[in-house]
Amino acid sequence: MRWLPALLSVIALPLGSFAAKSSSSSAERFQTFHTQAVSSSPLKLSDATYKKLTSAPRDYSVGVLLTALDAKYGCELCAAFQPEWEVLGKSWVKGDKKGESRLILTTLDFAEGRETFMSLGLQTAPVLLLFQPTTGPHAVSSPDPIRYDFANGPPTAEVVHDWLARQLPDRPHPPVYRPVNYVRWIVTTVSLLGLAGVVFKLWPYILPIIQNRNVWAGISLIGILLFTSGHMYNQIRKVPYVAGDGRGGIRYFAGGFQSQYGLETQIIAFIYGVLSFATISLAMKAPRTKDSHLQQIMVIVWGIVLTLMYSFLLSVFRGKNGGYPFKLPPFIVNSIFASPNSIAS
Amino acid sequence: MAAAEGAGSTPVELLVSLGRNQSTKTLLKVIILAIIAAAAVASRLFSVIRFESIIHEFDPWFNFRATKYLVANGFYQFWDWFDDRTWHPLGRVTGGTLYPGLMVTSGAIYHLLRFLTVPVDIRNICVLLAPAFSGLTAYAAYLLTNEMTTSSSAGLLAAAFMGITPGYISRSVAGSYDNEAIAIFLLVFTFFLWIKALKLGSVLWGALCALFYGYMVASWGGYAFITCLVPLHAFVLICMGRFSLRLYVAYTTWYALGTLASMQIPFVGFLPVRTSEHMPALGIFGFLQLVAFLEYVRSAVPSRQFQTFLYVGLGGIFGVGLLGLVGLTAGGYIAPWSGRFYSLWDTGYAKIHIPIIASVSEHQPTAWPAFFFDLNMLIWLFPAGVYMCFQRLEDEHVFIIVYALFGSYFAGVMVRLMLTLTPVVCVAAAIAASQLLDTYLQYKSPEVVDNKEEESSDGTTKKSSKQSSLRSASQPVVGIYNVLSKAFIAGAMTLFLLIFVQHCTWVTSNAYSSPSVVLASRMPDGSQHIIDDYREAYQWLRQNTKEDAKIMSWWDYGYQIGGMADRPTLVDNNTWNNTHIATVGKAMSSREEVAYPIMRQHEVDYVLVVFGGLLGYSGDDINKFLWMVRIAEGIWPDEVKERDFFTPRGEYKVDADASETMKNSLMYKMSYHNYASLFPPGQAQDRVRGARLPDQSPVLNSLEEAYTSENWIIRIYKVKDLDNVGRDHAAAASFERGHKKKKAIKKRGPRVLRVE
Repeated sequence: MRWLPALLSVIALPLGSFAAKSSSSSAERFQTFHTQAVSSSPLKLSDATYKKLTSAPRDYSVGVLLTALDAKYGCELCAAFQPEWEVLGKSWVKGDKKGESRLILTTLDFAEGRETFMSLGLQTAPVLLLFQPTTGPHAVSSPDPIRYDFANGPPTAEVVHDWLARQLPDRPHPPVYRPVNYVRWIVTTVSLLGLAGVVFKLWPYILPIIQNRNVWAGISLIGILLFTSGHMYNQIRKVPYVAGDGRGGIRYFAGGFQSQYGLETQIIAFIYGVLSFATISLAMKAPRTKDSHLQQIMVIVWGIVLTLMYSFLLSVFRGKNGGYPFKLPPFIVNSIFASPNSIAS
Repeated sequence: MAAAEGAGSTPVELLVSLGRNQSTKTLLKVIILAIIAAAAVASRLFSVIRFESIIHEFDPWFNFRATKYLVANGFYQFWDWFDDRTWHPLGRVTGGTLYPGLMVTSGAIYHLLRFLTVPVDIRNICVLLAPAFSGLTAYAAYLLTNEMTTSSSAGLLAAAFMGITPGYISRSVAGSYDNEAIAIFLLVFTFFLWIKALKLGSVLWGALCALFYGYMVASWGGYAFITCLVPLHAFVLICMGRFSLRLYVAYTTWYALGTLASMQIPFVGFLPVRTSEHMPALGIFGFLQLVAFLEYVRSAVPSRQFQTFLYVGLGGIFGVGLLGLVGLTAGGYIAPWSGRFYSLWDTGYAKIHIPIIASVSEHQPTAWPAFFFDLNMLIWLFPAGVYMCFQRLEDEHVFIIVYALFGSYFAGVMVRLMLTLTPVVCVAAAIAASQLLDTYLQYKSPEVVDNKEEESSDGTTKKSSKQSSLRSASQPVVGIYNVLSKAFIAGAMTLFLLIFVQHCTWVTSNAYSSPSVVLASRMPDGSQHIIDDYREAYQWLRQNTKEDAKIMSWWDYGYQIGGMADRPTLVDNNTWNNTHIATVGKAMSSREEVAYPIMRQHEVDYVLVVFGGLLGYSGDDINKFLWMVRIAEGIWPDEVKERDFFTPRGEYKVDADASETMKNSLMYKMSYHNYASLFPPGQAQDRVRGARLPDQSPVLNSLEEAYTSENWIIRIYKVKDLDNVGRDHAAAASFERGHKKKKAIKKRGPRVLRVE
C-alpha cells in the first residue's frame, strides 16, 4: 500500500505545478496543495514546491517538518518522530477535508531540499516550522515562521497537535485519530490462543513447575533483591551502566548518596544475595547436616563468607556516605572505590 | 515453683530452668517489650533535647493548626470547617479534605488528660504523639510476628527492629506530627488482625480488622495499600487452591464493614465504589462469593466432568468481570487510577503529566544507599526471612511473601514508601535472625551419631518431601554439634546486632532529628549555633502586618505561614488546585510587568522568598525555581518556557551569564536584591551555587524590601500600591532615583511630500 500515496503525489506534482503556474494567487495555491494533501498528507515537498508554498502573500498556514530520514545521517529523533508526524498529518486532513483550518502539513527531507536547509542555515534536524498567514483574517505581523522546540525528545502527535492548536486559534483543530492496527490485534489474539493451546497440552508437565516451592521462592527472592538494590531507580532515571574515571579506568561506584550506576546495583544485589544465602545456609542447612565434620566446615566457611561480605558492604557504603563511622575488619581502610569528592551532602 | 524444682548445681542450669517457667516467661516478655517501647520513644527524642519541643517541617504545621482548631471549637465545627485563610481567594473546605484521624486522636488524648486533671499543652501532645505511637507499633510488630512463627524470640526481635529502625524513625521523631505518626501503627495492627481473622475464620476478628481499617482510612491516604494488599493476598490464596470458609468469613466481614467504615470519612466518601484503586477489593469480594458457591455445588455434585466445567466457568466469569471493569473505566463510570497511584505503575507518567507530584523530593525513586541507610543489616536478613516463610507456607506466610514483593517494588519507585516496606522487613528479618540465634544459642549439643546407619532412612525422607517443601529444609533438624561453631556464629550475630543499634542511633541523630524549621550548624570551635531565621521572619509577619495581609510564597511554605505567622496564603502544601499553584509559579517566573497585575488581582500584600545564598542553605527557592517554571509552563506554555531560563549552552546559571529571562524574573530579582552590597566590590558570591554575582544588584520597581532575616534565609517584600499620579512603577522608581525622563528624540528624516 505504501507505493500508492507516493505514486499519487508523483502524478499530482506536475499537475500542481501546472496549476500553480497558471495562477499564483494565494487562495488558488492553497486549493491546489490542499487537493494534493487530501490524497497524501503530510505532503512531501522539494526545494521548488517549498518555495512556492511558503512564498510571501499567503492566507493559509503551512507546517513544514524539515527532517533527514536517510539512514546515513543517523538522525534518531527524525526517525522516531516521523510516524507521529504522519499520524498527525493524516488525521488533520481526515478531519478537515474542506480545508477550513487553512493549514497544510508537509515534510521536506534533506535529500530533496538541500538548498532549503542551506538557505535557512540549519545544522540540525528535525526542525518543525509553522508559517502563519500574512494576509486574510488570521494574518500575523511577522512573516517569520515559528519554530517548535524538540528539546524533550520525540513528542507524540497529540503534543504537537496541542502546540499547533495554540498557534492557530479560532480555527477548527481536527483531533488526532490513530488508526486501529487490525493486523496487530489479529496476531495478538491468534498467538494468545496458540499459547493457551500449548499450555493446555503441556499442562501435566507445567503443573509440577508451577507448584514447586523452590521455583516460587527463587522468583520472590530475585524480585526482592532487584527492587531493594535500586533497580527501579535505574529504570526510571536511566543511569549509565558504568562510567570512566577520567584516567582510562572504570568507576564501579558512583560518588554520592543519591546516585548509582547500573553495574553498581548488580554488585550490591549480589552482595545482598550472598549474605542472605549465607544466612539461609547457616540457619537451615547447617543444623540439618548429620556429619559433624562437614557441618563444622560448613559453619566456618559460611560464617567467614558472612563476615567478609558484610565488612565489604560496609566499606562500600562508607564510600557512598563519607561521614559513615562504622566499619568491620578486614575492610577497614577507607573504601578503595571511594572517589575523593564523594562526601555525601 | 518449677524453678525451685529444676534448680541444679550450676547457675547456668538455674537460669535455664527459670526461663522454662511459663509465668516467668510472660513476665520477662512484658519487661522486654516495655524496655523496647522505652527505647523506641527515647531514640526519637533527639530533636526535643537538642532544640526544643517544636513542630517540624511543613505538613505537621497544618496538622497542628487543625488540631488547635479542633480542640478550641469542638468536633462538629471541625467537621464543617471552611478555611478562608488559605488558598486566597478560593478558600478550602478543610473539614472535608483532610484525614481527621490524627487530629481526633490527639484531641481525644488531650481531653482524657484534662479529665484526669493533667494540665498539658496541646502542642506537647502533638510533638510527642509520634514517639508514643512508635511504642505501640513495636508491640503490633511483636503480635504480627508471633502469628508467623512458633519461636517467641522472633516476635521480640521484630519489636526491637521495628522500634529503632531508621526507616520508620524517619517519619516518627518527636515533633514530626504527620499522618504517618499513627498510620504505621494502624497499618501493622490491621495486618495482625487480618491474619488473626484469617487463621481463626472469626467474624469478631474480622470486624475488629474492619474497625482498625476504618481508623486507618481516617488517618492516612496510604490506606489504599491495605485496600490492595488484602484482596491480593486472598486472590493468591484462591489461586493456590487454598480457598476455605475461614478465608470467606474473614474477607467478607472485613470488606463489608471496612468499606462502610471508610465511607464515613467525608474525604473518602464514595471513592470505594468509584475509583480503580478500590476495585481489586470489590472484585475479589464478588469472586469469593462465586468461589464459595461453586465449592458448595461441588461438594453436592461429585462428578468429575462437572467439576472441570465449574472451574472453567469460574475462570470465564472472572475474565468477563475483568473486561467489564475495563469497559466501565473506559466508559468513565469508574475513575481511572488517580495520578499519584498511577505513577507507581507507569513511572514516567508523573514527570510528563503532573509535574507537581514529580517535584516533591519524597516521590523520587530510591537509590540503593537509601535502603541500606534506613534498614542496615535488615536489608539482607529480609530475603532470608522471606525464604524461610516458604518452609511452612501457611496462609499467613503467603501474606508476608506477597507483602514483601509489593512493598519492595513500591519502596523502589518512591522514597516515601520505604515506610510501608519497613514493617515487613522487620518481621521477615526477625524470623531469619531468630532462627539463626535459636539454632546457635542452643545450650545442648546433639550426640554424634554414626551417619552410615542413617543413610538408608535418609534417602526415603528425601524422596517423600521433595515435592512439597524447600530443598534446604528437606532433611530433619539435628542441631549444631560443635561449641566453636556456635560461639563463632553467635558472636558474629551479636556483633552485627550491636552495629545495627549503633547505626540506628547514628542515623537518627544525624539525619532524621532536624526540625528543618530550626537549623543547626557548628561554629569553628565546635560549639553549636542555632539558625532560627524561619521563626524570626514568621514572627515578624505576625507582629508587623495586618491580620488579613495576604502572603504569596511558593507552596512549600504555605502551612508554616498559616501555622506560625497566622496570615492568609495563596497556596500551601495541600496542592489541591494545580492552576492556582501555577499562577504563583507564573508570577515568580515572569517579568515584573507581568507579575504585578497577577499580584494585584490576588490582593497580595507581601511576597516571601527563601534564599540560601549567604549561608549555603541548599533548599532555597532558586534551587526549586525550575519546578515553579515547569508547573507554570504546564498551564501557560506560551508565556513561560523552561528553555528560556537556561543559558544558550544549556546551563542553569545565576551569575552574570544567566539568561535574560532568568535575570528579569521576579524570583531572581527578589533573591538577589541588594545582595551584592553585603560584599566588597567584585566579591559577591552565592555560596549554594558557587557563583560569583555581578556587582550591580537587580532593580525592583513594583516591590519594596520589607524584611530580611538575620542570615538572609527569608526575605519578605511588600507589594507597592498603585502610583498616586498614575505612572507605571518603573517610571515612578526611576524618577525616585533621580533619573530624568528621557525624551524620545524623534529622528526626522528629510521632509517628503505626502502622496496619497
